[in-house]
Amino acid sequence: MATTPFFDIPAQPYTGEKARLSRAYDYLILVLALFLFIGAFHLHMALTVGDWDFWLDWKDRQWWPLLTPLMAITFPAAVQAVLWTHFRLPLGATLCMACLLIGTWITRVFAYHYWNYFPINMVLPATLMPSALVLDAILMLSNSLTVTSIFGGMSFALLFYPSNWPIFAMFHMPVEYGNAQLTLADVFGFQYIRAGSPEYLRIIERGTLRTYGQYATPLSAFCSALLCTLMYPLWWHLGKWFATIRYVKAI
Amino acid sequence: MLKRIKNLVGTVCLALSCLAVVPNSAFAHGEKALEPFIRMRTIQWYDVQFSQDKLAVNSEVAITGKFHVAEDWPSSVPKPDMAYLNVSTPGPVFIRTERYLNGQPWVSSAALKPGGDYDFKIVLKGRLPGRYHIHPFFNLHDAGAVMGPGHWVEVTGDAAAFSNTVKTLGGATIDMESVGFANGVSWHGLWIVLGTAWLLWWVRRPLFLPRYKMLQSGREQELITPLDKTIAKGILVVVPLFVFGAYALAESQYPNNIPLQTALDQIDPLPPVVNTSLVQIKVTRTEYHIAGRSMNMVAQIHNLSDQPVQIGEFTTANLRFINPAAGLPAKDQGDTMVAAKGLTVDDAQPIQPGETRTVRIAAADALWETEKLEGLFRDADSRMGGLLFLYDAGGKRYIASVSTAVIPKFD
Repeated sequence: MATTPFFDIPAQPYTGEKARLSRAYDYLILVLALFLFIGAFHLHMALTVGDWDFWLDWKDRQWWPLLTPLMAITFPAAVQAVLWTHFRLPLGATLCMACLLIGTWITRVFAYHYWNYFPINMVLPATLMPSALVLDAILMLSNSLTVTSIFGGMSFALLFYPSNWPIFAMFHMPVEYGNAQLTLADVFGFQYIRAGSPEYLRIIERGTLRTYGQYATPLSAFCSALLCTLMYPLWWHLGKWFATIRYVKAI
Repeated sequence: MLKRIKNLVGTVCLALSCLAVVPNSAFAHGEKALEPFIRMRTIQWYDVQFSQDKLAVNSEVAITGKFHVAEDWPSSVPKPDMAYLNVSTPGPVFIRTERYLNGQPWVSSAALKPGGDYDFKIVLKGRLPGRYHIHPFFNLHDAGAVMGPGHWVEVTGDAAAFSNTVKTLGGATIDMESVGFANGVSWHGLWIVLGTAWLLWWVRRPLFLPRYKMLQSGREQELITPLDKTIAKGILVVVPLFVFGAYALAESQYPNNIPLQTALDQIDPLPPVVNTSLVQIKVTRTEYHIAGRSMNMVAQIHNLSDQPVQIGEFTTANLRFINPAAGLPAKDQGDTMVAAKGLTVDDAQPIQPGETRTVRIAAADALWETEKLEGLFRDADSRMGGLLFLYDAGGKRYIASVSTAVIPKFD
């Protein structure tokens, strides 16, 4: 039962060849998980969040902070359900976000920039890494689905917009262009031609989710926080259902 | 074995040769796939010109032209309450620096009025060298894209020389090709490093089988150490503090930031250019002869102007049928969509002032088929539309937007 003072790793059940094989199995699973989550989570985000994450001039203060956390909490919840329930590994959300960012950056650089010629700054992705770190930490400390759903889900959504504002604030500088006031992001949308995406297709500042005293983002963020508290347990149970150990007889 | 190697080499060579013949840029934009009645009876383009065929990186080409919004707008196509004049290019090989509708700068979408006349100008700046087939076209909300005439334009020079700067209202000059990139990468890099550190903190230990076994044997408490908990508590405190601190810093750096803009532009049509009533035209019957690839119209023309006029051109869906008997100067820029002798009128004599005459007009050319317009009568809406151009001896032009049902002739 001796432990290494700093690294603090508890005594292991396997030693010798068993430990070596078990570690090889760890790496095998990690590599497979990496590719699986890069592909699956990236595809999920591209299909559900899509243009809001692709383009500067879609990252608005209303729909972007509402939809992105709501769609992004899905895979982390499912993966946490597996890794925490069976292995007490509090890294599901961070792992998902790392995989998402790998996939997203590969796509933005190679597909959007080199293949389709868009300047890379026009297609900068958003980050959800701070939200994921907090979600993992809350799950680990609480060891509770209910607490993580409520406080983790809310933190996940509420941290999204302020995490990304340091990246995107500069694109909201006002510009006089074509006898109108535009943001720098709007100018990108006008100048860099997207034949299939006219400006009117943007779903920004629409619908009944109006501003309150001209502040739209806090309303969207809290609305997203509420929905994330519901989305989290839903996907937790989906993850649990998919990762059944019914067929594992003995280890 | 040798045979296998030969097969492999052969396959690779075949694949490479296929790659070699793949064109570098797209030169068709799906315009033929759109139903003929939409192409003929929505946006009726004319006088579209490209200021040059060849330009250097950073130089500009202007696309100018006019269009009439058809009065006989198809009932199955939503009205053009939100329309965006776009340019079909293979990605941003140009940037669009200016756009005008009826002389008014225009950056967003606008409503178009059926029966309205408009002129437009789009200024493009060369960004990437290459030879591109480009079209002006309209994105119509809920209806799709209606292409204008296309043209080949070549951009020469060095892509690295491209520059694009914009001045903000605060007075800063922004390089659009690089603004925010280093900042974005830095923030992403920082969070990725922190996330990776958290992952490595856990991955350094034996993971799946040992942890599962320990959990099953009731040693759960050993799997999360006091140091792990301390770090997690640190994350809960430090990450939100850092996030909101950075947010406040960004706010103070850009205090005049504004939300993305969504307003539509309001642009009125020009004073009438088409159907001005000086020359009134009513097409009473139209037949399409499939074998002859000929659209034959019977039109009643009433000349209320003070000059004799004659029919010079019929244009529809970017096809132009020219009446050679009218003796008009060619203005087709080598366009393959022009049938230079495609229009004939049964009575070549000019229509005198005050005269009302019924004429038979035939627009015949293989273009009907190659542009996939001959399938009009197979559409649910089989009415045709287009613009008839008449000229007096002084070159003054009268334009009429015409439309009728089309009767196919199969023999």
